Amino acid sequence: MIGFILSRVARAIITLLVTVTLVFVFIRFSGDPAAALAPPDAPQEVIEQYRRALGLDQPFWVQYTGYLGRLIQGDFGYSIHSGRPSLQIFLDRLPATLRLGGTALLISLVCGITLGAVAALNRGRPIDRGVMAFSVFAFAMPNFLFGLVVILVGSLAFQVYLGGQGASSTALGLIAPALTLGLASMGSYARFTRSSLLETINKPFMLAAEARGIPYKRRLIRHALPNAAIPLVTLVGLSLGSLIAGSVVTEQVFAWPGVGQLLVRSVATRDIATVQFLVLAIAATMITANLIVDLLYLVIDPRIRAK
Amino acid sequence: MKTTRRTLLASAAAIGTVTALKPFRAYAQQARPDLVIAVDNLWETMDPVIGISTSGGRVHSNLFDTLVRRNRWEDPDGTELVPWLATSWERTTPTIWTFHLREGVKFHDGHVMDAEDVAFSISEQRLWGEEPDAPRGTRYVAGIIRVEAVGPLTVEIETEAPDPSIAYRMVTPIGFVLPKHYYEEVGKDAFGQAPMGTGPYKLVSFDPSTELVAEAFDDYWNAPVPAASLTFRIVPEFSTRYAGLAAGEFDVIVNIPADQVAQVRDTPGVEVMEKSIENYPMFAFNTLETEDLPNNPLTDPNLRKAMVSAIDREAIVEALWGDATFVPTPFNFPEYGPYYDPDRERAYPYDPDRARELLAQSDYAGEELIWHITRGFYPNYEVAAEFMVEQWRDIGVNVRIRIVDNFSLAYQRPFHLLNMSMSSEFSGDPYRPLWLDWGPNSSRTRAAHRTWEPTERFLEIGERFAAAQEFDERHAAYLDLVEEWENVTPGMYLWRNVVSYGVREDLDWDPGNDSVTIFDRMYMG
Repeated sequence: MIGFILSRVARAIITLLVTVTLVFVFIRFSGDPAAALAPPDAPQEVIEQYRRALGLDQPFWVQYTGYLGRLIQGDFGYSIHSGRPSLQIFLDRLPATLRLGGTALLISLVCGITLGAVAALNRGRPIDRGVMAFSVFAFAMPNFLFGLVVILVGSLAFQVYLGGQGASSTALGLIAPALTLGLASMGSYARFTRSSLLETINKPFMLAAEARGIPYKRRLIRHALPNAAIPLVTLVGLSLGSLIAGSVVTEQVFAWPGVGQLLVRSVATRDIATVQFLVLAIAATMITANLIVDLLYLVIDPRIRAK
Repeated sequence: MKTTRRTLLASAAAIGTVTALKPFRAYAQQARPDLVIAVDNLWETMDPVIGISTSGGRVHSNLFDTLVRRNRWEDPDGTELVPWLATSWERTTPTIWTFHLREGVKFHDGHVMDAEDVAFSISEQRLWGEEPDAPRGTRYVAGIIRVEAVGPLTVEIETEAPDPSIAYRMVTPIGFVLPKHYYEEVGKDAFGQAPMGTGPYKLVSFDPSTELVAEAFDDYWNAPVPAASLTFRIVPEFSTRYAGLAAGEFDVIVNIPADQVAQVRDTPGVEVMEKSIENYPMFAFNTLETEDLPNNPLTDPNLRKAMVSAIDREAIVEALWGDATFVPTPFNFPEYGPYYDPDRERAYPYDPDRARELLAQSDYAGEELIWHITRGFYPNYEVAAEFMVEQWRDIGVNVRIRIVDNFSLAYQRPFHLLNMSMSSEFSGDPYRPLWLDWGPNSSRTRAAHRTWEPTERFLEIGERFAAAQEFDERHAAYLDLVEEWENVTPGMYLWRNVVSYGVREDLDWDPGNDSVTIFDRMYMG
């Protein structure tokens, strides 16, 4: 058990180090941050002055080792524009993103599992085909397009603005972007639940349960669903990645003041410390989420625990 | 049908027009509205010099005041200077200007503005020393060697050489007066996050990635303040800004893509304002032979002139902009009052036959020329570039466009043509675009991405131009300088830049020909 956890942690650290290094390199070679600070027609002296102030005139490896050293001490750097700590900027935005991502996850899980279960129990009937058609649509619809349609229809047809007001938003202002963000996951949850549930319902232990006279509802909820949920947990873990990636697009479209929008903006303004920290934070989130999924397996599947 | 943003907007708008509209809030009855301005971006700091930018400029004049202002509320081009925080100014000696300040002007904390604040705002430490706190203002402070409070409400500005443009420069961001006591107490970073000035609105909150909120400052010296509050909210996506305007959530939106203007204009309750501003998108020819670009065919002026003569700019501008803007004759800009001559013509107008003749006189042998363009920075630039590449192809010049994501990538050599724009503001005459932007200290000449070396003659006339104090002398030198510039043809101006605003129909506000937005009583009814 301890060996398992240690190897996971070691792998996580290596992944983070590689991520940090790649970002460090790319942000410096995809456009000069000093030039981004100065106006396009700034004299060369001004650009040089910014370069000195940012330490970009140092040799590359000095910058890199300095950065790693500060990272280990928990110093994540400061925004080159506002001088505020990158960590603080991130923490300011985090609640909005968690609110959006959490709601999206909730909507997609509840709706996806319900739809999948309904489809499975009505296998071959029109309702099954309807749900499957919807799930293909949900999965295939690009979220920026869906978001724009929602916003434009809301405002032009109903005079309701659905763009984000962030933490102060109304229920409707939260549901529109959350639905947009969660739509793709909802589609895949529905399909997965359906196929997994169908497979489970036809397992011999379900026949045995029926033979023992356990009522239908109980058989479904206590016996079939937990077994069908095992592959779903993996899927939820994996789709956290698409939730984070999707939040970049969704926040941009809905003007939702979260981490995704901050990332786009920081890349555009070459705010090196903030970009580096955000990518690090996102990578850490992904790694942690996957670790939790692995551990959850131990909880929900007694067979693995037994091994 | 392929779904593009345009078709999407069109169908959504169609739904809108057949649906009953909720009545708009009527401003006429409401004494002071709370205005929401949806912007594409907000600069990260609101120090008005560190934050020199289009996105910062929309906010600054609402929080701060400059010493001098240009009157755009009566004349959209603002050729007249009006006293603002300075009530008058005079030239005491050829190199010393004295500014007299308005009495009783208060900062948002109640502190009364005096000459010390002005001297601090334009100080060596802040703007023009060795390593100033706010180096982005360098070009506006060029030549200033002393700024001193000589009385409670009197400030002297001394320049190295006689400079007739000083009053005009006090209109620019270096003319904003900041509270010395507060700035020194909190420091430049904190000041940028919690700015305070003497302007009509006083900061309530600022989050650079969400919004800036300011409320009416009722002790404003030029009261009454027409709106109860201003909120500049970041909405990066145009369609979302448009949706918010149509739904009545926003009162003003900025940056309508050129191909969406008609769509927005057709939206009930909404008005579109297109303003041509004092900035001219252009491209520079790389006229230099450098290590990274040996045998550069553009060192030959005949090729450059051929390329300029091959482009039908009038047709391109008409097609892309309608009558929102025009093709400038080099450095002949309407904002320059007496220097502007509507009848002066370009040395190399559209003339394909002449273009072919000039090309035949050059040594050009069909080499591919690379044009670096920054994605989406100048509205319509990429579309125009495609037209131009075709017109060059017609005469036998082979240009390839390379679109990159930001300026520092565009500046990476080698390139043959480089996109840029030149602003014409601040000196009241062609000094900036002609001499500061093309002269011996310009980035055109000295930066890593330099594209030309001024000729001896250009330098000689330029010095005469810069030194001239009287209009006749300066005007004559200006004409000679333009002639020499066209003789070299180191670049080509495309059009006068256009900014667009979507505004609720019942909002009585007009910014003039400017990307700066001010919601005080001069600009807002």
